[in-house]
Amino acid sequence: MSAAEERREPGAKGAPIVPPPPGSIADKFKEVLPDVEFEASQGVLDVVLIVLRQDIPRVMRAAKDDPRLAFDYLRCLSGIDQMEQGLEVAYNLYSFKHAHNVTIKTVLPADDPQVPTVTTVWNGALWHEREAHEMFGIVFQGHPDLRPLLLEEELGYYPLLKSHPLAEIEESQEDFLREEAPVAAASVAGAPPAPVDEKAAKIALAQKKAEVMKKAREEARAKGLSPEDEKAFVQEALKALEEGK
Amino acid sequence: MVIERELETIDVSFNVGPQHPATHGVFRMVLTVDGELVVDLEPVIGYLHRGAEKLSENCDYRQAIGFQDRTEYLSQFNAEQCYCIAVEKLMGLEVPERAEYIRVILTELNRIASHLMFMGAFSADLGIFGTLFMYAFRERERMQELFEEISGDRMMYSYFRVGGLAWDVPEDFLERTRWVLKETRQGIADIDGLLTQNEILLARSRGIGAMSAEQAIDWGFSGPMLRASGVRHDLRRAEPYSIYDRLEFDIPVGDNGDVYDRYIVRLEEMRQSARIVEQCLDQMPKDGPIVAPGLKRVLRPPAGELYMRTENPRGEYGCYLVSKGADKPYRLKIRSPSFCHLSALRDMIVGHYMADAVIILGSVDIVLCEVDR
Repeated sequence: MSAAEERREPGAKGAPIVPPPPGSIADKFKEVLPDVEFEASQGVLDVVLIVLRQDIPRVMRAAKDDPRLAFDYLRCLSGIDQMEQGLEVAYNLYSFKHAHNVTIKTVLPADDPQVPTVTTVWNGALWHEREAHEMFGIVFQGHPDLRPLLLEEELGYYPLLKSHPLAEIEESQEDFLREEAPVAAASVAGAPPAPVDEKAAKIALAQKKAEVMKKAREEARAKGLSPEDEKAFVQEALKALEEGK
Repeated sequence: MVIERELETIDVSFNVGPQHPATHGVFRMVLTVDGELVVDLEPVIGYLHRGAEKLSENCDYRQAIGFQDRTEYLSQFNAEQCYCIAVEKLMGLEVPERAEYIRVILTELNRIASHLMFMGAFSADLGIFGTLFMYAFRERERMQELFEEISGDRMMYSYFRVGGLAWDVPEDFLERTRWVLKETRQGIADIDGLLTQNEILLARSRGIGAMSAEQAIDWGFSGPMLRASGVRHDLRRAEPYSIYDRLEFDIPVGDNGDVYDRYIVRLEEMRQSARIVEQCLDQMPKDGPIVAPGLKRVLRPPAGELYMRTENPRGEYGCYLVSKGADKPYRLKIRSPSFCHLSALRDMIVGHYMADAVIILGSVDIVLCEVDR
C-alpha cells in the first residue's frame, strides 16, 4: 500500500495541500533516502512529511545521523486522533547544525495502533511516547517502559481519544444520583410523566426560527424591498410562526 | 583482638514528596541511596494532571487561552503569547504594532518575574534562607502589581487575545513600567551582589548536575538549561516571532552545564530582558489599535495544523494546534519545557549526594502545573 493510500483523505476537511518549495528539506530527505516513500507538503510553519510506519526507524535514524539532515533535536511528539482516518503521530524535529525544521508524521490504523519507538534515536522521546501511549493507546514497539506517566494505573480508557468525550457534570455525580433516584421515584404516585428535554426543544425552536427568518429575508430580497421593509417583513413572518404554534 | 570484617550495607529506597518543600510543587522522587550517595532515581509526576489539552478541545479558541495561564502559572503571558500566535498563524492574522509591543514588554517582564521566583526558591534550596527570598519577592511584587493593574488578576491574567489584547493598558503604563524597570535593575544588582560570589553557592553548585551539550540536546533541553550547557540557541533569535527581529539582546551561555551555570545564565537573562523592555518602551507607538480589525465574535481558523514554539523562561514552549475549521481546537498538544527537563532528572542526579539532589532539582526550575498539564 502506498503512503498516499494509507494516509487520510487530504481534502476531506478542506485543508489544501501545498507542495513544498523546491530545495526544501523534503528534497534533502528524498536525496538521503531515495527508496522511501514520502508525501511532502508545506505546512503553516514547517514542511510536513508523511511516511509509512514501517519506515519510521529508518527515516528517523537517517534524519539524525546523516550529516545533510542532522536532526539532533526532537522538539515535540504528539498523538492526534483523526477518528475514521486512524491515529497520527507527529514528530517535530530541529537541527542545531543547519537550523532547519521538519514535521514527520505517520498514520496508524485505529484498530492496530503500533509504531516502532524512536527512543533509540533520541532519549527525549522517552516521556513523550509514554504520554502518547497512555493518552491514545498508541503502542511504541521497543519502548523500554510504557507505564502510565500522568494518569493513574489501570485507568481502562484513553482519555484523549475522540471516542471518549468529556463527562457531563451530572455524570460525574453518578453515585450521588443513584442514591437519590429511588427516593424520588417512590414519592411520585403512578407512572412518572415522560421527561421533557427542554434543551433539545429550545434548540429545535431556535433552528426553526432561523429557517423562517432566512426564508423571509430571501423572499423580501427577491421582491426588492427596502431594508426597513425587509425587517418588518421578517418580523411578520416570525409573528406568524409564533401564532401558528 | 580485632576482627576485620567488611560492613554489610543495603541500598535503601524512599520517597521524596509528593508533599515536600524541596519538590517545588506536587512531585515525587523515588530515591535509592547507598549511604548518602544516590544510586537510582525515578521521578513520578502526574499529581497535577487536569487534562488541559482535553479541556481545550471542548472550549472555543478564546476560552482555551485561560488554560494557558493555568498550565504555566509563573510565566502566564509567555504561554498565552505562544497559543495566541499559533491561532493567529493559522488564521493569517496580523497583530497591530502597538499590541505586539505591549505583548513583548509584558512577556519580558514576566520572564524577569519568573527568574526572580527561581532565584528566591533556589537560594532556599541552597540553604540561604530568608534574605534572598525576600529580596526576590520584593522585586517580583512590583511586577505583580503592574500586571494586576493591567489585567485585573494577580495570577490568571488571560489578557492576550487572538489578534491582540483584551483592552488597552492604563494611561500611565509607560511611566509605571519605566519605574518598575529601574527598581528591578537595582534589585537584580542586589541579588547579584548577594549570591553570585556567595561561598555557599560556589561550594555547593559548581560541578554539580552537569550536562554536556550533546546530552542536553539529546534529552530535548531548551532555554536556560540548554544555554548553560554552552549551546547558544534562543528561539527569539533563531526563529524570531513577534517583533524580536527588531530588538537587540545578547544570549548568555554557560561553559559546564552545571547548576552554577544555570544560575548565571538566568541572572544575565534578566538583565537582557530589562534591555529588551527598555527598547520596546522607546519604540512603542503612543496610540493605535490593539486588536486586529474585522475579527468575528466566534473564531473559526481554516483547517490546518502547526507547531508554534516560543522562548519561555523555562525553555521552548510549544503548541501543536490542529484545526478542522470548527470553532474549537481539534487538538492542542502543549509541549512544556519542564516536562523534557524532568525526564532527564535521573541522568543529572545519579552519582551525586542526596543533599545535591535537591539543588539539582531546584536548578531545573520546574513548574509542576506545566509538567502535568
